[in-house]
Amino acid sequence: MRRPRLFDLLLIGSGTLLGALILLPVLALLRAGWSSALLPLLGQPQVQQALWITALSSLLALPLIFLLGLPSAYGLSRCSGRLRRSLEILLELPMVMPPVVAGLALLLAFGRRGLLGEMLADVGIRLPFTLGAVVLALTFVITPLFVRRCVVLFDGIEQKLEEAALLLGATPLQCFWHVTLPVVRRGLFAEGVMALAQGVGLFGVIILFAGNLPGRTQTLSLAIYSAFEHDPQQAFGLAALLLLISLLLLATVHLLAPREGR
Amino acid sequence: MNGLSCRLRYRLAHFDLDLDLQVGSGLTVLLGPNGAGKSSLLRLLAGLNQPASGQVTLGERCLYSSDKKVDLPPEQRRIGMMFQDLALFPHLDVSGNIGFGLKMRRIHGGKRQQRVQLLLEKLDIAHLARRNVATLSGGERQKVALARTLATDPKLLLLDEPTAALDPAARGEIRRWLQTVLTRLDIPTIMVTHDAEEVAFFRKRVAVMEQGRIVQQGSFHQLLREPASEFVARFVGVNYILGAVRAEAGKLHFTSSGGSKFLAPFEQVRPGPAFLTVQPWDIALYRELPEGSPRNHLHGEIREVVIIGDRVRLTLSRKDKLVAEISSRGYQALGEPQPGEMFWAVFKAREARIENCGALPC
Repeated sequence: MRRPRLFDLLLIGSGTLLGALILLPVLALLRAGWSSALLPLLGQPQVQQALWITALSSLLALPLIFLLGLPSAYGLSRCSGRLRRSLEILLELPMVMPPVVAGLALLLAFGRRGLLGEMLADVGIRLPFTLGAVVLALTFVITPLFVRRCVVLFDGIEQKLEEAALLLGATPLQCFWHVTLPVVRRGLFAEGVMALAQGVGLFGVIILFAGNLPGRTQTLSLAIYSAFEHDPQQAFGLAALLLLISLLLLATVHLLAPREGR
Repeated sequence: MNGLSCRLRYRLAHFDLDLDLQVGSGLTVLLGPNGAGKSSLLRLLAGLNQPASGQVTLGERCLYSSDKKVDLPPEQRRIGMMFQDLALFPHLDVSGNIGFGLKMRRIHGGKRQQRVQLLLEKLDIAHLARRNVATLSGGERQKVALARTLATDPKLLLLDEPTAALDPAARGEIRRWLQTVLTRLDIPTIMVTHDAEEVAFFRKRVAVMEQGRIVQQGSFHQLLREPASEFVARFVGVNYILGAVRAEAGKLHFTSSGGSKFLAPFEQVRPGPAFLTVQPWDIALYRELPEGSPRNHLHGEIREVVIIGDRVRLTLSRKDKLVAEISSRGYQALGEPQPGEMFWAVFKAREARIENCGALPC
């Protein structure tokens, strides 16, 4: 066997360090969570409420994300040249926006005195500090990420499949519904779960735009923040719970993701 | 009249596609070297690409007209196209693939099932009905793709190199199957190929395309007898010599670009750029030039000897190149010529054909 060279050692060394950097905090958190006993934690009404708000807001945001994101992603994947680059930059905007800034921006757009606030108030809609605000915040932050990944999925579809469908008499909409979507269905399921996984962890944008109201807008991440101020041990437990949920979603993503791409 | 008539202009990367083509019912083989624009033509006909200008009519229907501003989308053209890589839908089984077009036309339930079943039986693939398309062999995939196309009752069928991706054994089988299926169809069918064998096998009408133009259209035998360009000549194995016809003292002569002079009947030929064609089996070989021969002759070195069954093809070249095909008995009588030996190639004036180059790329 050939002796490992210096460069190989460098690669192995940095890889090991990075692995430790990722795993150490995860293990520490799980250990802390374990000692704070997760099951009794689940019995507390405030924790149950936070879990409920997290699940409800994510499940309400998901259809919105698909409804806005899928057609946009498909349209973008059929664009090319300068138009496509400009649209991709537009998509990157919410991604690079710091969460706190995004929260304030949403407040200025949809808040009571925001750009659309009065118009919304006239028709009886008041968004800030409601569950609707949590859903909107999730949609705002996650849809661009979702679109970016779906564009990759749509780009991977053989164009001939769609052309064959058109020549067999399918309208473009039928072609999208009966060929394009079914061909990437595994990937789309995975992206849906990925969107959920990203949603459960959002913090900054929600606390600024929707507030931290237990039972109304307080998601699990926000509950951790509140708990950390008066009962760190409970915060560790909740954090471990959130981590477990994220790990579960991550495992689902990998189980669903199409294997061809790997 | 249910034929196809098209006049199209379209910009390709290296040249313009510019052609006029009429195709009647039955099979027409569209032959041309790689990159001649054959697949682009099919895509233009199908409406997948948009021409710069022109007109496409199928029977009484106008599918495209730049003058009348008509451009039917692919789904309304009723054109069946089989792509080279078939493009079977991976998420549907064989029946699902074949019934797809019917489903899109809102033919539901039992009626659709019935038509799919009928087609499966007609094309001898009923045993594949429930199979996943990923598990099919190359030949089976081909059959399913054609069945899927025929299910929608197209008014024009386009086949893009249908046997190119198959291994030689499957190719023979699919060709025979295609021939049986296609002869039963009563619609214009264009089959694209760059393969000599394919044209020889189908022996149907042939349109030859080079550099975006149709350079010859006719029967397979016409192609053999009167190849209109170097590609066609080489393709059908006919000698093709480029040169010019000159008038000297009221008589016409053909001088090849290599400088050899040849005689021919010179019917309807004008002075100017021209080409000479002669069949390989009309050329005789001699070690010494026969005395007093009024024939065309070329002295050259044997470059290649290929034995095909009981025939032998010898390539002789010096300034010009000629291929002679003789019987193996004749080959033995000549003392089995080998590459490097010098020989005379001789052919009669009336066996040569000379034509002006005209608009074709000579």
